[in-house]
Amino acid sequence: MPDQETESVAASCWSCGASLGTGSPICSSCGKVQATSADADYFAVFELSRKLNIDTKALERGFYKLSRKLHPDLYAQAPVQEQQWSLDQSSLLNDAYRALKDPVRRTEYLLTLEGMKLEPEKGDAGKAARAPADLLEEVFELNMQLEEMRMNRKMGEDDPQLRQDLVNAKDQFEGQLRDNDIQIQNLWAAWDTAVDAGDPSQQDQLKTQMVASLDRRRYIRNLVRDVNETLES
Amino acid sequence: MAYSDKVIDHYNNPRNVGQLDKSSQEVGTGLVGAPECGDVMRLQIKVNPETQVIEEAKFKTFGCGSAIASSSLATEWVKGKTVDEALDIKNTDIVKELALPPVKIHCSVLAEDAIRAAIGDWKKKNGVAEGEAVAQPVAAH
Repeated sequence: MPDQETESVAASCWSCGASLGTGSPICSSCGKVQATSADADYFAVFELSRKLNIDTKALERGFYKLSRKLHPDLYAQAPVQEQQWSLDQSSLLNDAYRALKDPVRRTEYLLTLEGMKLEPEKGDAGKAARAPADLLEEVFELNMQLEEMRMNRKMGEDDPQLRQDLVNAKDQFEGQLRDNDIQIQNLWAAWDTAVDAGDPSQQDQLKTQMVASLDRRRYIRNLVRDVNETLES
Repeated sequence: MAYSDKVIDHYNNPRNVGQLDKSSQEVGTGLVGAPECGDVMRLQIKVNPETQVIEEAKFKTFGCGSAIASSSLATEWVKGKTVDEALDIKNTDIVKELALPPVKIHCSVLAEDAIRAAIGDWKKKNGVAEGEAVAQPVAAH
């Protein structure tokens, strides 16, 4: 069932005139493919409300079901306009599925949809986001070790202790990444509750927390990647 | 992207790379980072307790050429200034001096932050409230 909210923009089928939920790709009355709607977000494609805990199995089933109905091959003999719509709807459906099935991408998408800025604009001087302050010491230390490792490598030396230190540091950051993921999941649950409760101030607060959590995640992931590259090079 | 000659000069011949004794009462340490590119910058100052003049400045930066050049320039500029004068250094001055393109402005912001963080650390160590002018040597309690 679509939410009241997602249904608020009334639309009707171009063919039979039956009323449609926003973003419905296909008319439930006559089965005709519809034009993609400008306000069709990825959640609306699957008739979901903007919540973060999604049953991915159900999402997958919905994806295949809609794919089968919308596939451009089915419209090979249809009027040109409907061919185009099936193409548009199929590509929207694919984008929507890819974005929603992955938890992180889903969260990022929701936050963007909710008007949050995820990546700070590079030229956006004063507003540049700050790296997590509690991590900086470790990050600096890690970079020192990485530099030493690369220097050693250039000289054709290998320091087993240093290598071990780096592996330990990497394990530690990977642990933090897992902690961070748990934190994000807790935020999802809180978000869904706030959506159900219709509590905008709570939602705003959670959005900010989710952005911070995702920033942190991206930051740590880049660190782990740097360590891996150095260890494997 | 092409770097300006000044960035390349600072990158190839960074001034004042190194470390000061973090535990010294006269040393302030600023450690800042930019999440978007993983840059991390440490800037340290050594302040003369009598004159409040920054006599020594060192930095160590992991990051792109612009980040290294910005922090290198920052250490050059703070040296010889009083703590209060150093707080007047703005990231826009660094942008201008190094001819940084818009996508690298955050590097200069980071350098300004590093100066402020180092001075903040020094003030904290010496019992000067943040934002308070350092008119006279700190009174002991």
